[in-house]
Amino acid sequence: MVLHTLSAAPSGAAFNDCLKVLQAGDTLVLFGDGVYAALEGTAACDKLRATQAELFVLESDARLAGIAKTAANISWLDMDGLVALTERFPRQLAWY
Amino acid sequence: MIYSLLILSPSVSGHGSRLGAEFARSAIARGHSIRRVFFLDAATTASSCNSIFAQDELNPAQAWEALHEEHAVELVICISSALKYGMLDDTEADRHGRPCASVNPAFTVSGLGQLVDACANSDRLMTFGG
Repeated sequence: MVLHTLSAAPSGAAFNDCLKVLQAGDTLVLFGDGVYAALEGTAACDKLRATQAELFVLESDARLAGIAKTAANISWLDMDGLVALTERFPRQLAWY
Repeated sequence: MIYSLLILSPSVSGHGSRLGAEFARSAIARGHSIRRVFFLDAATTASSCNSIFAQDELNPAQAWEALHEEHAVELVICISSALKYGMLDDTEADRHGRPCASVNPAFTVSGLGQLVDACANSDRLMTFGG
């Protein structure tokens, strides 16, 4: 079980690299430019959901990007929630 | 838990420096301690004492300085990166014949060994890039 964090936009190589290793049982947090992968109806969002990983998006960054509503199966998270996730996961993989 | 952070983004662009500082503040608020924050590559520019931000712009460097002042968070910039980006403390400015230092005194200039030490002596290492 790994905590992944993605701060790169879905158009970047980091997104595809992350997708290759993300699997069920893992958790992914989207922040920075990574929040665009939380947009419903996008190919990036569909690909993330297909991994069956647990998906979160940092609410403050998403709202800054104009995303008022996340796609189904992607949950809001605040910074306190991110810290709580790191308490659960000994390892983080940072994609950027 | 004991946390250390590795910051890879410059303070003037990207998200890593801002997010790292926000994470550190939240971790402290949840009762954790920050052993060290290590700044590598362009992230070392967060230590500049010469950067001027517009009043309505977020300045991650100020957030780091506040963490240092309020919670004694150790801020270490990688020396080889720092020299390339012109981030010199008094010792390095003197050693290289430069007229003045450019590093905010809240930051310490040191080597990669400090990152290794932070990894070895922390429960968690969080990396913020991009």
